[in-house]
Amino acid sequence: MENRRQFASLIGPPSLYLFLLFLLPVGLMFVYSFRAGITGPAHDVFTLDNYRSFLTNSHFHRLFWRSALISLTISVISSLLAYPLAYYLVFQAGRNRVTLMTLLIIPAWTSYLLRIFAWKLILGSSGLLNSLLLSLGVIEKASPMLIYSRSAVIVTLVYVWVPFVALPIFAALGRIDRNLLEAAADLGCKPWEAFLRVTLPLSLPGVAAGFFFAFIPTLGEFVTPLLVGGASGQMYGNLIQDQFMRALNWPMGSVMSLAMLVAVITLVFILTRLASVSDLGGVYE
Amino acid sequence: MRTTKSSLIVLSLLVVFTMILTACGPKTPPATEAPTQPPEVTGKLLMLDWAGYELPEFWMDFAQKYPKVNVEFSFLTESAEAYAKLQSGFEADLVHPCNNYWKIMVDDGLVQPIDTSKLSHWKDVNPALAAQGAFDGKQYWVPWDWGFESLLVRQDLVEKVPESWADLWDPQYAGHIALVDGGEANHVITALALGFEPWSTTPEQDEQIKQKLLELMPNVLSIWSSQSELDQMVASGDVWVGSGAWNQSYIGLLKDGYDVVYIDPKEGRTGYLCGFAIPSTSKNYDLALAMIDAYLAPDAQAYLANEYGMGIVNTAAISLVDPETVKLLSLEDQNVISRTVWYKYITPEQRESWTNTWSEVKTAK
Repeated sequence: MENRRQFASLIGPPSLYLFLLFLLPVGLMFVYSFRAGITGPAHDVFTLDNYRSFLTNSHFHRLFWRSALISLTISVISSLLAYPLAYYLVFQAGRNRVTLMTLLIIPAWTSYLLRIFAWKLILGSSGLLNSLLLSLGVIEKASPMLIYSRSAVIVTLVYVWVPFVALPIFAALGRIDRNLLEAAADLGCKPWEAFLRVTLPLSLPGVAAGFFFAFIPTLGEFVTPLLVGGASGQMYGNLIQDQFMRALNWPMGSVMSLAMLVAVITLVFILTRLASVSDLGGVYE
Repeated sequence: MRTTKSSLIVLSLLVVFTMILTACGPKTPPATEAPTQPPEVTGKLLMLDWAGYELPEFWMDFAQKYPKVNVEFSFLTESAEAYAKLQSGFEADLVHPCNNYWKIMVDDGLVQPIDTSKLSHWKDVNPALAAQGAFDGKQYWVPWDWGFESLLVRQDLVEKVPESWADLWDPQYAGHIALVDGGEANHVITALALGFEPWSTTPEQDEQIKQKLLELMPNVLSIWSSQSELDQMVASGDVWVGSGAWNQSYIGLLKDGYDVVYIDPKEGRTGYLCGFAIPSTSKNYDLALAMIDAYLAPDAQAYLANEYGMGIVNTAAISLVDPETVKLLSLEDQNVISRTVWYKYITPEQRESWTNTWSEVKTAK
């Protein structure tokens, strides 16, 4: 009885919070997605037209896949960069581990916009990279092509997300029992074999978690594309923003948001299955 | 194992702390304290206004008269937002969208008529601008600020300065153009470039506008949505021609020593007019009127022109404005003003169609 009360008091506030501030708004959005409009009589008309026009608008789909591809690229690069980082922190950094990890996180204490603007200073036509290439004679004229492009969005977002991807990998690597590595060595594994057959498989759940830490939020990104994406780096999130803020077409915005939510949930479901399967395979091979 | 555990705890704390820090946005500046005076009116006044207009310089008369009234600001980023917020039941005492949303907000019963006899500065308001705020013989909107949108050009970087909206398509600016992120603005300027009447385009003309915009996109470097963004891109030299640029951008960059010109295209600059209305749900009608009157005061209006380089409505304030600013912006030049293409009411259908076109165009590249 005591336990149950304790459980309820622990789980209660976060559940309430999630319900009021997440599930309820998503539910409202679901209702809105069937409305014909947000004002006047159209507000009370319910229709499937929004879904129909979403499904038939190839422009939305094209942008959705483009955004998915951008997010996928960001998450893969972030994971590839974060893994050696986390590995070093866990196995090599020793007692400096926490200090180094703190250094990694500290930039995140500054405003998000400030960090994006910093990238403008690096990638802009009078920026660091252009000046360097100019002085090395690689290019003849400073060009703003490094910024305001899809790659600028990817570079900036990878920078933003690497520390957050490193965290779960760090945790996963830290949980690995060192005895396993010794056992692998005793059984004749070379270090790289031990890494491939013991360390990597055991850390994969962390990699998967890190991957989604980057993938899910970047899929809905609209601020970074707005600031560094220029005319070619716009993403699906920008379209949703347009529907809500400019077209005042909340129903269409809702349909587009829900479509993304469904896609993300499906993807997470599939990929977590894959990750845990390979995880088991690695251990019991 | 132990160190891992404790380091994990430290790290989670760091992450939580980081999230708290990033969640802290800028706060509304506190209302300034005014000298206390009897008899005190207390209460609250909620303004749905643009960021930057909350400065105490704009409502000094109100603060003096009603020092105990708690003035709060909620900020807009689009006129559409004012409309959407009032539609969804947001209870503000004053709202400040621009004139393309005035008619629909009156039609939908979101705002109430203004008793202009209670505004001491009403007699000085430019009648031509005031007329835009009247519907069915009643004054619903009090105009307060206006401005141009035009091409802002880095004179030192281009070979030839554009003379018309159509020059935006000139390949010599390719790769150095910034367009404003808005369906309405881009529809209007493209219509002007093609010689159409922007607010009564036919579906065929709309299609031509879309194709024309698609043609421009390969030359466009970036899309701007906040003034500081455009200013920064023009200052850095990435952008040579900024489209839809406001007066403030021009004045600001000029003050900072950049060699910029603010074009007077032969089709006319586009112009917007914004102003105040009292939402139907407001329970502070008299306080709201007093606040409008304070915003109309010559000092407040002159501050708007001098500090922000904006057009003003109070004719009695003009003598207080720096003549250089007035000249630079042609704020008094009837030749420029009479050719200005003022934004008009757009129907929900136009809004939807123009926004969709723009969404498609800006993501085509």
